[in-house]
Amino acid sequence: MKAVKGKYFFGGVHPNDRKSLACASPLERMPEPEVVAISTLQSLGKPAVPVVEIGQDVVCGELIAKADGPISSDVFSSICGTVEDIREEVAASGAIEKFIVIKNNGKTDNAHFPPLSSPTPDEIKQRIKDTGIVGLGGAGFPTAVKLSPRTPVDTLILNGAECEPYLTCDHRLMLEKTDEIVRGARYIATALGVKNIIIGIEANKPDCIAKFEPYDDIKVVILKKKYPMGGEKQLVYVTTGRRIGLPPKLPADSGVVVSNVATAFAVCEAVELGKQLYERVLTFSGGAAANPKNLWVKLGTKVENIVNYCGGAKKKPKKIIQGGPMTGVALSNFEVYTHKATSGILLLTDACAAAENPTPCLNCGKCADICPMHLMPMNTEFYALAGDYESAAKYGGTLACIECGACTYNCPAKRPLMQAIRKTKAELRKMGGPKK
Amino acid sequence: MIDDTKPVDNTYTVENIVDNTLVISTPPHVRKKRNTKGIMGDVCIALAPAAIAGIVFFGYMAFIIELVAVLGCVATEFVYFFIAKGGFANKCKNAKATCLAWWKQFDLTSIVTGLILALILPVTVKWYEVLIGSIFAIAIVKMFFGGTGKNLVNPAATARVLMLLSFSMTVYVAANVGAVLEGGEVLTSATNLNHLLNESHLSQLSVLDLFLGTGVNGCIGETSALAILIGYIYLCVRKVIKWWQPLLLLAVFGFCAVLLSGFYFDKYKFDIGLFLPHVLSGGAVFAAVFMFTDYVTSPKGVIGQLVYYIAGGILLALLRYLTGLEVASFVILIMNILVPLIDRYCIRKPFGYVKEKKHKEGK
Repeated sequence: MKAVKGKYFFGGVHPNDRKSLACASPLERMPEPEVVAISTLQSLGKPAVPVVEIGQDVVCGELIAKADGPISSDVFSSICGTVEDIREEVAASGAIEKFIVIKNNGKTDNAHFPPLSSPTPDEIKQRIKDTGIVGLGGAGFPTAVKLSPRTPVDTLILNGAECEPYLTCDHRLMLEKTDEIVRGARYIATALGVKNIIIGIEANKPDCIAKFEPYDDIKVVILKKKYPMGGEKQLVYVTTGRRIGLPPKLPADSGVVVSNVATAFAVCEAVELGKQLYERVLTFSGGAAANPKNLWVKLGTKVENIVNYCGGAKKKPKKIIQGGPMTGVALSNFEVYTHKATSGILLLTDACAAAENPTPCLNCGKCADICPMHLMPMNTEFYALAGDYESAAKYGGTLACIECGACTYNCPAKRPLMQAIRKTKAELRKMGGPKK
Repeated sequence: MIDDTKPVDNTYTVENIVDNTLVISTPPHVRKKRNTKGIMGDVCIALAPAAIAGIVFFGYMAFIIELVAVLGCVATEFVYFFIAKGGFANKCKNAKATCLAWWKQFDLTSIVTGLILALILPVTVKWYEVLIGSIFAIAIVKMFFGGTGKNLVNPAATARVLMLLSFSMTVYVAANVGAVLEGGEVLTSATNLNHLLNESHLSQLSVLDLFLGTGVNGCIGETSALAILIGYIYLCVRKVIKWWQPLLLLAVFGFCAVLLSGFYFDKYKFDIGLFLPHVLSGGAVFAAVFMFTDYVTSPKGVIGQLVYYIAGGILLALLRYLTGLEVASFVILIMNILVPLIDRYCIRKPFGYVKEKKHKEGK
């Protein structure tokens, strides 16, 4: 369908997106690494339980850890090899995760499921659950859970905004795998029983918009280039005009389900090829990266291998980031392994990385002006510094925060607002929620 | 630091990337280049036209007052930095390092305070009065409360109020009854504002004169609305202030003043023609653009700002008529004190907020 413009939402920032670094390089398959270490925690919720033993031979796509509970996802081996070790290690996020280490034996077998032809909604749902698909946008919410909403839904929204600077993996995927994404979206729509499919694409990707326009059953919405346009609440509002209530409300409560384009692609492969989710596209980019690339990377690949494969850095990086620059995790070393939700590896130079010391808050209100959730981050920081986390949540609205980082990006005093917000949330969780 | 000038081996492999210069922090990992110093620099630039206009209209004395105020403010901040925190003797020993540390944290706020203070004083003020005012503004109003960003009230406005109360013989008279020195003679004619407030509903001067500042008695930076307008446009372009803030205040203020003027002199006649003379007379424009919009002492949220500017405009018009004086500094002081209250109660509802329905029984 002909592309239409989305609604306007208040707030948001306009960081320099620097997508030109990697957006021209086509998807490329990285050779299988020698060793992979696959975390059992690949989604929100509980970690999966390992079902393999040390010394066991596994093939590509074989189940190695079983989902534990409803909000959890199955984990599959991404290469053929032997399980060498199951060990606990500190992951990039700082939490301790269980890793299953598999040594490559060079075989190319796989354990894909049989393809489904003309599947029923239940078959699709089961297949998505069986292949361990999670939201590939960053949060990693199990897709199977999303597809069984507690309230009736009428619209499926595909998230092709990719509003984070530097990242281009979704851009390349949309460009090269347009048809697969559309088919995947149709499968998801069938599973949900909805007719409306909307795809939101930021205006800085006109080539992708043109690619999706020929499909008659897909409504393309052009989004203004703005961060955080790809945030779930913002995207739903901009594309449909519906507002999602504050947590614990979900998009489904407003009658929509949001899914990333990469997820739709994974669903297509799962249904048509029976392929489990054991690899994904990620962007290797940044001011210091020698050759920015978009790569197909196996789950559990060491970041070191990716950086080496892409030719290392041309300048000394100041920050190494896993994920996007606005929400990703800064790494202290390369002993880190990719997850299902890892969308990029960025090497940022001195000039573009944020490493300033904070100066006193001026009360300028610039953080509140651009907050896409209309919160008061400066209040959160003020009270959090004083240790009064309940007031921080009350006057700062912290519990509604989507942690997009726009406030910290915009702060002229370089205050660590995001840190205060996370601290407040963690402290409140410890206390068992704010007092009513 | 690795310099880019060596082209010998310009690729870094994994082994020499990882070292202890890598920065680990919470996201976001990119940030806007804008910082406090830049914003304050922009305010200084925006104040420059008004400062120059003051020198043009009031002669070299205006320049001396500006210089004394700025130097006084910066020196006070420096001395305070030297004395406070971390031991005086220790700092004296490492005088050079201390100076460097001061320079590193110097964010131009004291220059802004000094400039604003000078621009809201009449040219007849004595230099030592300016010095006392600037020391008071920085040391007591700003630094005692914790420095940049922590002061409760606008330092310049407070200093001006202090001077008005302490040295009322010069400051007060000059600001309101007009004692601009011209050729050694003190002109006793009233300012336009004084005339407007106390004698008749008609303006002595034409609107054009008031706008340009020609032939207007008043404070150094407040007479020329044109110069202030240039500063205002610059501030808006650089997004230091929101464009509607001063306009909202002046609009509310102007209408209230016109209403009150009709009430006082003209038996309930509403003469909109008095709008511009009222707005342009006295220090209202300057205060609206440079002093009400002070980040530290104005509300943080948009709703709070709306309340603040509307209330400020009404209060300014009211107090002007009640006292028959230029009271912008007092109004700023009063509004500043109300800001914590405004901030506390004027909070925007989060995006997607739905009013909670009362819990029904049995659920």
